[in-house]
Amino acid sequence: MADTATPAKARVLVVDDSSLVRLYYRTALERAGFEVKQAINGIEAMEKVLSEPYDLVIVDVNMPRMDGFTFLRSLRSGAADVATLPALMISTESGVQDIGEARMFGANFYLVKPVAEAELVRHVCVLTGATL
Amino acid sequence: MDDSKGGSSHATHISPEQVQRFCEFVYRRTGMSFTESKRYFIDRRLEDRMAATGSSSFQEYFSLLRTDADHEIEHLINSFTVNETYFYREDHQFRCMTASLLDAIVHQKEPGGTVRIWSIPCSTGEEPYSIALWLMENWSQVDNYNIEIVGSDIDTRALNAASEGVYGDRALMRLSRDVVSRYFRPIAGGYYQIDEGLRNSIEFTRANLIDPQDMKQYRDFDLIFCRNVLIYFDDASRRLAAENLYDCLQPGGYICLGHSESMSRISPLFRVSRFPDAIVYQRPEADHG
Repeated sequence: MADTATPAKARVLVVDDSSLVRLYYRTALERAGFEVKQAINGIEAMEKVLSEPYDLVIVDVNMPRMDGFTFLRSLRSGAADVATLPALMISTESGVQDIGEARMFGANFYLVKPVAEAELVRHVCVLTGATL
Repeated sequence: MDDSKGGSSHATHISPEQVQRFCEFVYRRTGMSFTESKRYFIDRRLEDRMAATGSSSFQEYFSLLRTDADHEIEHLINSFTVNETYFYREDHQFRCMTASLLDAIVHQKEPGGTVRIWSIPCSTGEEPYSIALWLMENWSQVDNYNIEIVGSDIDTRALNAASEGVYGDRALMRLSRDVVSRYFRPIAGGYYQIDEGLRNSIEFTRANLIDPQDMKQYRDFDLIFCRNVLIYFDDASRRLAAENLYDCLQPGGYICLGHSESMSRISPLFRVSRFPDAIVYQRPEADHG
């Protein structure tokens, strides 16, 4: 997927079952210049990352049908071009065990909700290499 | 019986007794109470519906109404509801929601838990969308809970408009330019359509406040906005609506009424809660007796 060419706008996939949460992240990231797509669970997210290129996936933990951990495990065991996609996990789960599990399944970073707009944008910039 | 007089002003041939029968029918169906003083309001709508159905006399129209031919009851109710509103109307209550009410509500919930908010009547959608916008712009916990917003109305025409989410300048006058540019896109004719994600985040349903059967489907709300509708009801319907709303709330849940409405004068079921931005009503945590 991504070679050395930097896209004009980094593409971020937001995966969360709550429509308002998706909208909140999307609005914050679009305002900062990112291109944002959405998925409502791990299954839909998997379909999206396999069909179009992304620079980052932001993924919730608790979702119906396919949760964030299962999604990450599938992602990391997939084809090489998606297996290396950076993943930011954002969840209400704040236990050390949850964070450890996220790392084990391949999350690059873990944030505990609520996440303020500036904090979200800062982490997305770091993980995509984008500058504001 | 049929005195086909023609002309456009059917309602002028309606007797006071017929108006009374008609008003009783509307009252039984909607809880809205109209007296002789609202005769002009009633005549206008009655005239419109008689013309729309091709009824040449009141009797003809009334029998059509009673048999609900071609969903005439729904059409009539739609013509009687008032759908004039705008975004961020009475925003002190939205301020109260994010400054006080939600903190009290989520205090009892785990992060990730569900917060249910109901806008009834939601008219053409300005109120439920305002709630969603306000939360995204002003509540720092917005991503920490699963927020469900339901908008309900008795008027199906208004609900269709709410789902479409298309508004003119007047409806948006209280929103900042920044909020409009972020959540609306301009469309033809000088109108704006609200963001698709926002439209999908609200569930629009038909509900009649005074129909206990209808209201049974709505339970476990943490917060209800029921503004400027009880003023159209008489005392008995108001009390019935209040009892229905009580059942729809979680124990400890809150209800916001319109600025000229007071629950204390309607029902003793609720407790008055005074916050810096607004006075709201609360279903007590534990029911007595």
